[in-house]
Amino acid sequence: MSIVFALATPASKSALCVFRVSGDGCLKVLGSIFGNPPIEPRRFYHSSLISQSGVIDSVGVVFFKGSSGYTGEDSFEVYAHGGLAVMGSVVDLFKELDFDEAGPGEFTKRAFLNNKLSLSEAESVVDVINASSKEVLEVSLNSLSGGFSEELYSFSERVDTLRKFIEGSIDFSDEDYDFIKEGGVVDDISCLCADFGGFVNKCYLAGEGELKKMVLFVGPPNSGKSSLFNRLLGSDRALVSDIPGTTRDLIESEVFYNNSSFGVLDSAGIRSTEDVVEGKGIELTIAHIKDVDVVVGVFDSLCDKELNKIKALAGGKNFISVLNKSDLGVFNKDGLFDVLVSAKNGDGVTELKNKISLVSENAGPDGQKYFARSRHIKLFDEGLGFLEAAMFKLRSGSDVELAAEDLRFARASFDEVVGVKTSDSLLGDIFSDFCIGK
Amino acid sequence: MSNEYDVVVVGGGHAGVEAAHAVYRSGLSCALVSFSYETIGQMSCNPAIGGLGKSHLVREVDAMGGIMAQATDMSGIQYRTLNTRKGNSVQALRAQCDRELYKKAIQDTLKLTDIEIIEGEVIDLLSNKESVFGVLLADNTEVRGKKTILTTGTFLNGIMYTGQDKIQGGRVGESAAIPLSRKLYSLNLPMGRLKTGTPARIKMSSLDLGLMEEQKGETPTPWMALSEHPTEHQKQLSCYITRTNKNTHKIIKKNIHLSAMYSGNISGIGPRYCPSIEDKVFKFGGKDSHQIFIEPEGINKDLVYPNGISTSLPKQAQEDFIYSIAGMENSQIEEYGYAVEYDFVDPRSLNPTMETKFFKNLYLAGQINGTTGYEEAAAQGLMAGANAANKIKNKESLILERSEAYIGVLINDLTTHGVTEPYRMFTSRAEHRLMLGQDNAEQRLLIIAKKADLVSEKRINSFEKKENAYNTFLENSIIKRKVKSFIDSSGKKIDLKEKASIETILKRTDISRENIIEISDTGPENLLFLDRAMVEIKYSGYIEKQKREVLKNKKLNLKDIPKNFPYTSISGLSNEVKEKLNKTQPTTVGAASKIEGVTPAAINLLLVYIKKAELETLDA
Ligand SMILES: Cc1cc2nc3c(=O)[nH]c(=O)nc-3n(C[C@H](O)[C@H](O)[C@H](O)COP(=O)(O)OP(=O)(O)OC[C@H]3O[C@@H](n4cnc5c(N)ncnc54)[C@H](O)[C@@H]3O)c2cc1C
Ligand SMILES: Nc1nc2c(ncn2[C@@H]2O[C@H](COP(=O)(O)OP(=O)(O)OP(=O)(O)O)[C@@H](O)[C@H]2O)c(=O)[nH]1
Ligand SMILES: [Mg+2]
Repeated sequence: MSIVFALATPASKSALCVFRVSGDGCLKVLGSIFGNPPIEPRRFYHSSLISQSGVIDSVGVVFFKGSSGYTGEDSFEVYAHGGLAVMGSVVDLFKELDFDEAGPGEFTKRAFLNNKLSLSEAESVVDVINASSKEVLEVSLNSLSGGFSEELYSFSERVDTLRKFIEGSIDFSDEDYDFIKEGGVVDDISCLCADFGGFVNKCYLAGEGELKKMVLFVGPPNSGKSSLFNRLLGSDRALVSDIPGTTRDLIESEVFYNNSSFGVLDSAGIRSTEDVVEGKGIELTIAHIKDVDVVVGVFDSLCDKELNKIKALAGGKNFISVLNKSDLGVFNKDGLFDVLVSAKNGDGVTELKNKISLVSENAGPDGQKYFARSRHIKLFDEGLGFLEAAMFKLRSGSDVELAAEDLRFARASFDEVVGVKTSDSLLGDIFSDFCIGK
Repeated sequence: MSNEYDVVVVGGGHAGVEAAHAVYRSGLSCALVSFSYETIGQMSCNPAIGGLGKSHLVREVDAMGGIMAQATDMSGIQYRTLNTRKGNSVQALRAQCDRELYKKAIQDTLKLTDIEIIEGEVIDLLSNKESVFGVLLADNTEVRGKKTILTTGTFLNGIMYTGQDKIQGGRVGESAAIPLSRKLYSLNLPMGRLKTGTPARIKMSSLDLGLMEEQKGETPTPWMALSEHPTEHQKQLSCYITRTNKNTHKIIKKNIHLSAMYSGNISGIGPRYCPSIEDKVFKFGGKDSHQIFIEPEGINKDLVYPNGISTSLPKQAQEDFIYSIAGMENSQIEEYGYAVEYDFVDPRSLNPTMETKFFKNLYLAGQINGTTGYEEAAAQGLMAGANAANKIKNKESLILERSEAYIGVLINDLTTHGVTEPYRMFTSRAEHRLMLGQDNAEQRLLIIAKKADLVSEKRINSFEKKENAYNTFLENSIIKRKVKSFIDSSGKKIDLKEKASIETILKRTDISRENIIEISDTGPENLLFLDRAMVEIKYSGYIEKQKREVLKNKKLNLKDIPKNFPYTSISGLSNEVKEKLNKTQPTTVGAASKIEGVTPAAINLLLVYIKKAELETLDA
């Protein structure tokens, strides 16, 4: 079985996060990713965790050989610091090593298959797997307006149709029929890429079973977005500094308040910038505005030009303007801002929370939205990548067999929902649609 | 009278001769029993070897010491590479052959061996309840063998149809194998009927080729065989292309009720990719013209094979519609088209070694397993022969993976999914086709073949010499040299911001071959190596990905599903999937995962339930 990994602790605020890796052969990497690789099994070691780009974190690590661990196969666990940046780097490292992200119940399933669980526990394994296979459909019920799996089915059909023409052009090249041209393949794949891209954009990460409203913090650099974000979370998750442009990626977390929860996103400050890396972060911010429900603009000056610029960026989204650093004596002149706060001493933060939860409750969806599991979103993203790769090749008219391979992989990203497409049924489609053969 | 051999092969078609030859090469004694010596190596249908998916099989058979590729080269009268504008892995060579010369090449090759050829009809198997130990001929001779391989093609209870006429026989002018069919039915092997058809044969001199489009062969003329071929090609001939027209279709429609296939006489299922002209006209009414390839039957033969108009219409109607085609108005028909219906054995009753699950020492290969085509037959014959020999010698079974060879795909498809129509190979059946080029069959298979005693030390040595030369080329090659600009395949000059190696450029985009030759001043002696390197680099990223896929599937393929597994009891499987599993009865979890519509979650459930069943039996 392949090597899989998963975050064993919740993917939100925590002091510590634990990653589990399991699968025969996984111990081979210990020597290369740990500065002080563990030597004895079942003993806890302290070590640095290293990727190609340097040290990720200082971590605890313990490994198990074969049947001694939970899954009954070679496995190890990494205890890292719970920051999202660290979590992200660890995930990237594991993916680079070609480990797969574990599906729901994967570890328990493996434990069961390797005789680590009793027969009576089998039912619970089945339940988990069943839940995961139904999950796609449940997610569609959760979605604000259904149609999730229907859309996926129709995309997979469109991929199948394209493959029909492309495989036809390969296997029946001496027929007097130009599959690629007559099939309108080049136009179709372009449309498919655009449409599927739109679909992927409509897919949002589903929270633990409930809909989560997303709140994005934007504003000029150094206005105190990260500080306010940390204040809301009650922990130091985002990097705070007095150098403008400190936050470069989006940082996400979840806030629980009044029995409801909302996701908050901290972002890079918005201004025209020379720094290439930061520039990317800002693009990301702007791109994310359309995905969130509420935009919170954070300012530390009364400059209404800044305010209007950012309000404009927020478009039609619910917008809350916040004036920060009240402890420094700034005041809300003419009630220009919705809330006055101090991230430093916490003044006004409760009022802000109330406002956010009030506004986010009313925040209706703009257009259709689907809530999907991260695994599916990842699959769809990959699928889109394969479709685009195929599109480039088909447009240039070269490497048709590689485009065919891209499409085969793209189709595989629908397997979890739609089930596999066999080559025999693909051939069947070709024979029933085209007069082929001698 | 009774003779005893290591292996007895029944049938002198493409499967039979490869089976016998494989046994011979592995050093064991072999008898080949066939109706008549004269028809050994006979091409029943069109006089061509190769094509997409098929030349891949031929080259693999060649790399494993088979004789089909060499016989093709001894008789090839026109060669064409298909898909030249597509990438290397999906290019395929197709060769027209002189039908007589092909047969002669096969027969001559067999003469050089100590294979005992016995003329006669096999009417019975010598068997007890669980195993087979030879065959009985119509003249009461017993031919005993430790292993018996049946390769009886279209002959088992074969019935030929032309219009309302119906005669017994497996091929025009030959008889059918009736008693043997009865015997197999009596053994309760799972069997069914399939059908196929063939067009009329026409005198070349009666055609007006001037009205047709000429299709010349490729120059320089390539070879089918990878390393050992004759010094010179046969005389090369052209093919011609003409088309059916509205009038042709009108005639066919008028007579359709007389067609054997449409009047309900035939129940067997025919290949959808080899439709009769009746099918083309009826199922695809929208098209009012279909292509016909006029293929010469041989160098000294005044006969052509009109590829594309196979039919089971009565003779008069065949004449009428043929006369309506441009250039064929004055056709002199030498032989009429016909359809043939025959018994086949469900190949799911075979192990991957081609031995039947129900009877020890009985192997089946070729069209008897529901396939169609010479190449498919040859590949199975070789594998059956090699496995029978290996078993006698107590050697490991010879089983090729889907990722190793088209032969692996063929046998895996047959033995796990069975057939619903005559099975033909296509490149799209091979999910790992990027790794399985027709040019790299030796790299993939020669060593495996050596282990099974199928190829000589000499061939291995010369192969290794070639490989070493290639590796030296790669090491010193300029492919690693960095350049600042290059010319892409459309002739555009591209300037790079930063120097990059030719290898890197090749991986990302297309650089013109001429340009590489120029930059690297590769001499003509190294051009083949350069081409190979270009392909390998271009595919490398994809192949890495495929290799990972293979590794992932490996464990699933090894996990067996118990016989008669109660799929209906698995909660969480959709009824549709349950039904498919029940019908297919896959033997491994890997096979189950390749059934249409099955999801990864379904496979997970299956794994858990299999485990549960195992634990329950332990508890009990
Ligand atoms: C009419 C017709 C049309 C076809 N059309 C196509 C086509 O369109 N496309 C395509 O790819 N393929 C076609 N084929 C199939 C192709 O010819 C076969 O797939 C291929 O020849 C099968 O090889 P084989 O070795 O399995 O059997 P065959 O080549 O059929 O050889 C069978 C051998 O067994 C011998 N034999 C049979 N029974 C006995 C017995 N009881 N005792 C002794 N000897 C016996 C026969 O004499 C013969 O030598 C067609 C075949 C026929 C007959
Ligand atoms: N006095 C005071 N200082 C604050 C307050 N909020 C933030 N600061 C300070 O302002 C500076 C910038 O804070 P950050 O939270 O990093 O600002 P930011 O908007 O996230 O900045 P970028 O990520 O760089 O765009 C830091 O030095 C903070 O300590 C506040 O309420 N009062
Ligand atoms: Mg910040």
